[in-house]
Parts: sequence; structure tokens; C-alpha cells
Amino acid sequence: MSTSLLVPLHVAYIRALGDSKDDLSYHLSAHLRMNAVYWGLTALLVMGHGDALDRDEMIDFVMSCWNEEAGAFGAHPDHDAHLLSTLSAIQILLMQNALDRVDVDRIAKFILSLQQPSGVFAGDTFGEVDTRFSYCAINALSLLGKLDKLDVEKTVAYFRRCRNFDGGFGAVAGAESHAAQVFVCVAALAILDKLDEIDQPTLCWWLSERQLPVGGFNGRPEKLEDVCYSFFVLSALSILGKITWIDSSKLEAFILSAQDTESGGIADRPGDMPDVFHTHFGLAGLSLLGYPALVDIDPVYCMPASIIESLGLRKGWKSLQRRTL
Amino acid sequence: MSIEQHNVKRNIQTPQALAEKKQREKSKIDEFLALTDDVLSRKKKEEWSDDAFELTQRLLQINPEFYTVWNYRRNILLNGIFPHSTPEQINNILSNELSLTTTSLKANPKVYWIWNHRCWCLENVPDGPERNGVPSMEWRQANWDKELFVAERMLDADARNFHAWNYRRYVLANMPTRRPEASELAYTSRKIGANFSNFSAWHQRSKTLVGLWESGQLDPIQSRDDEFELVSNALYTDPDDQSAWIYHRWLIGSGENKSRLEREIQLIFELLQEQPDSKWCMESLVHYKRLLLQNHSPDSQTLKQECVELLSQLMDLDAVRYSRYQDLKRDLDQ
Repeated sequence: MSTSLLVPLHVAYIRALGDSKDDLSYHLSAHLRMNAVYWGLTALLVMGHGDALDRDEMIDFVMSCWNEEAGAFGAHPDHDAHLLSTLSAIQILLMQNALDRVDVDRIAKFILSLQQPSGVFAGDTFGEVDTRFSYCAINALSLLGKLDKLDVEKTVAYFRRCRNFDGGFGAVAGAESHAAQVFVCVAALAILDKLDEIDQPTLCWWLSERQLPVGGFNGRPEKLEDVCYSFFVLSALSILGKITWIDSSKLEAFILSAQDTESGGIADRPGDMPDVFHTHFGLAGLSLLGYPALVDIDPVYCMPASIIESLGLRKGWKSLQRRTL
Repeated sequence: MSIEQHNVKRNIQTPQALAEKKQREKSKIDEFLALTDDVLSRKKKEEWSDDAFELTQRLLQINPEFYTVWNYRRNILLNGIFPHSTPEQINNILSNELSLTTTSLKANPKVYWIWNHRCWCLENVPDGPERNGVPSMEWRQANWDKELFVAERMLDADARNFHAWNYRRYVLANMPTRRPEASELAYTSRKIGANFSNFSAWHQRSKTLVGLWESGQLDPIQSRDDEFELVSNALYTDPDDQSAWIYHRWLIGSGENKSRLEREIQLIFELLQEQPDSKWCMESLVHYKRLLLQNHSPDSQTLKQECVELLSQLMDLDAVRYSRYQDLKRDLDQ
């Protein structure tokens, strides 16, 4: 059990991720590779170790996932283009200061082509819809400077239909509120300057009730705590100006207790296997909590705040003050 | 090492055990990579053969999250198999597709790609068979009915699986002959009756009711009163369960109905006497008394004081949310 953040261990853990080619699970997760690189890079940047992975290799990897026919990115070379991997690719290139490598107009075209008559976005041409994909589209267009091409009213109309009796949002119209879906909807509405679409007192109450006695958050009522909700719940609260409505020291202790003190990395909860997904969201949560010596993260875009600020995209969110050691 | 996993316990392995694991995995890795290479290179050449179709099945059995291969499999059906098939054959192929992916679904109940494939299969079932020279909806209805059954079985296994609930809503909304909405209300009653703490079922109930109120099938006033009875039953049975409290708050809404508000406040107050440490009772009383203040008695110092006292108790009892209660207290003082 650790009560402090083991930065060097986590940096080493992330660096070693690409070396696990003799692990079957590495190959079985190729469909998530682009996302994994984004999670790994963002985690490193939050820890102040952005150069721990080779920049050129990373950019080459991202570009090797470009699908020329679709005008977008897949998760891995020769994997089909998808919104999830396209957003991650754009975020990685931005964080590596290499966005000039892509055809911005083509990507914008791909993204916009995925909007459905109802206003929601599909993930790819096979049509699965989800508010996660709407967030990916809005986030990506915003980062590319192409948000003006979006039909905002049409897009917002669908979010309205996803609003639930508890103030939260679901994956599709009619779906149950879930903290990850709440995050994507709140962050998307923040980018569109439409936070007034949210029943804020009710949603902030629902979000504050995600904190369990153990200190961690769950994703919906009667479910188990999980480190990833440290980010999803906390970022939604910080966007809505209510980050104080949870017990920050208890959450911090919970995240720290989920660290793997031998191999590095953070798990979904104490005692479980770590992975880069939970490492990233645990660190993002700690950053929002003001944990010492971490870099500020923007809760709307889940990227270093300085990059978002330099693009003129910072919204009115509030994180906890960074403590000094 | 996996990229994203949940509920997987750490196990400390000796260097020897790790080395043995790597040895065993090596052949699996080689097999998987070879199969992947084979499938993806055929895909690149736009091969739509039966062989390719068979290979995608093998690959998806090993890795049902390989979304690119689901895409390829569907394209083989669309470009290679369907063009040479009669409507009846297409129906058989799709019914079979749904059947053989059910095993994968049960083993991987939360994999988006498998659920999505089912939607695609359903949407491609052709009209038929012909009855008196006119195509009927029978093939469609049969497949959609079966999928509703699959959703129900998945919810029996895990009543909180939101993929299964979403799929259930999708099937009910799109099947050729719709089921009456009132029967969905009965389904949520069953699920809630089986477990009051099933937030997913309460949520579904809230959606079903809104549909029934808006379409005029149920009188909203009488229906809401019925719902208050149902939910107060749940509150008294398990006052610690948040699902019923959240549902109750939704029923109260903006609090314009004064007598209903006062009735429910009284009910919860009585419950608080039986359960003096009930955070949910106190939290709800604060909220409803504030609604009374805002809507009906803006000058009542008594109500204000009662809220302040309850909030002070909550700051002690539910210390994790201390700051929220403090904020609410401050709002009242203004």
C-alpha cells in the first residue's frame, strides 16, 4: 500500500508497455492501441515526463494507422477508421506538436459524415451510435479548429433526449445515467457552451453520491468503486463548478492505494492488475485534485491544460488548487 | 499486460512461472498473428469468399473485440454471400449468425461490438415469407421476438447490464409489431419486485411512464399517486437504497403540488423516527422542505431552521459530502 505517488515506477511501467510483444494480451488489444498510446502519453505528460517515449516513433505509429480511403485513423495499422481512434490520434499529434502531419479538412469531412439525422454521431460507417461518439466528434472538430462546421442545435437536441430523471445522461436516448456518459455529455456541452441544458443541482447531487465510504467513486448506484470514475465524476463536477462536493483527501487516498507498488501502474481498485487505462485516469483524477508536482489537466478535453489554453479553448472549469510538497 | 481490464486480481508470479507462461503463449501468439495477417490481407484484396467468412469466425472467436474483423465479416455477407442468396437463405444465414454469436455474447456480455453486430443482423432480415403473393413480416418478427428473449435472458443473468437494457429498448422500439407499452410497465414492476435496488429497472420505469403519460394511455395524476405508493413501499423496506429515493425525488419534481409535498414530507419524517440515522431521509427532507420554501412558503423561518438543523446533522452523518451540505446551508441563509 502506498500513500504517495510513485512517479518513477509509473513512468517505467508506461515505457515498458510497448515491450510486451511476448504477451498474448498485448496482441489481443491491438484494436485499442491508438487509445492506449493516447492514455500513455497523457499520463506521462501529467507526470511531467512527456519525453519518456520516443516522439518520432510515436508519430510514425499514429500515421501508420491513417486510412487513406476513409480519411481518418484506425486503432492499429490496417484496422478500419473509427471516431474513437481518430480522436486519440488527433490528441496525440497535438501533444507531440505534430498536427501539421494530417489533412485536417479530410478528417473533418469524415467526422461530419458520421452525424445521424437524430443529431447523435455514429462511430463508423456501420452505424453504432453513442454519446461517446458525439463527444469524440465535438472534441476533435474543436481541436482541429472546425467546430464552426457543426450544426450545434441538431447536436444539442440529441443530448437533450439523453437527459434522465436523475439529472444524468446515458449512451443513447432512453439509456440509464452512467458516470462515463455523464462526463462525455457534460464535456461536449461545455465545448458547445451549452451547459444550461443541464439540470445542474440534480446532476451534481447524483455525481456527489458516486463517492463511496471507501473513498473511491462508482459509475452508477449500487456498483463498485473504480479508479477511472475518479476522472469521469471529478471532471464533470469541476466543469459544473462543484468539485468541492466530494471528499478530495479520501478520493486521493483511494487512487494511491490502487497503485501497483511492484510493477508500477494503477489498477481499477486496490489489489487488482494495473493497466494503462486506469493509470491514465487515476493520474488525471489526482491532477484535478491538486496533487503536488503534477501538471494541470483540462477536464473537458482530458489533455494538458496548457495546450488547450494555447488553442484558446479553455472553458470555465475549476480544479482544486495544486498543493506544494 | 492488458490495456483496460476490470476485476482482475493481481497475482505475483515467480520468474520461472512467468517464463513458462511466455513459452505457452508463444504458439498462441504466432497462431493469432498468422490468422490476423491472413484475414486482413484478404480484406485488403476485397475477398468475399466463404473461406474468408470462415476465417473471420475463427478470429472473432479468439478476439470478439476485433472490430475491424466484424466489419469485414459483414462486408463479406453484403458483397459475397447475400448477392448469391434468396431472401429465404439470407434469413437463414442471419438467424444462424444471431445464434452462433449468442455463445460469444454470454461469455462477453459487455462487448459493444457483439451487441452492435446483432443490431445489424436484425436490420438486414428481409421481408418474407410470401403469403398470398405478398411478402409478410414473419421472418422479421420471429428474429426480433427471439432477440427480445435474448435480452431478457441476459438481464436475468445481470439485471444491471446496461448493454442488455439498451438492446431491449432498441428491440421494443423497432420490432415489426410493437408490444404495448403497458406490458413494459409490468416488466419493470417484475424487475423492481425482484430487487428494489435495481436502479436500471426504476430508470426504465421512469421512461415507460413518461411515454404512457404523453400518449394519454395513463392518467398522469392517478399514475403518479400509484407510483408514490409503490416507491414508499420500497423506501420503507430498504431505506438505505438510493434507487427508490432518486425515483421519489423525480416524482415530486418541481414541487408545485403542495399537498403532495406535505404528505410525502410527513411520510419521510415518520420513517426518520424509525431510522434516526438515515442519511437519505434527512437529505430528502431538506430538499422537499426547500421546495416548500421556494414554491409555497417563502417566509417560513421554521422551515428554514428545520433545513439548517438537518444539514448540520448530515454534515456529521455523511461527512464525505460535508461541503455540499455546507453550500446548501449557506444558500438557505441568504
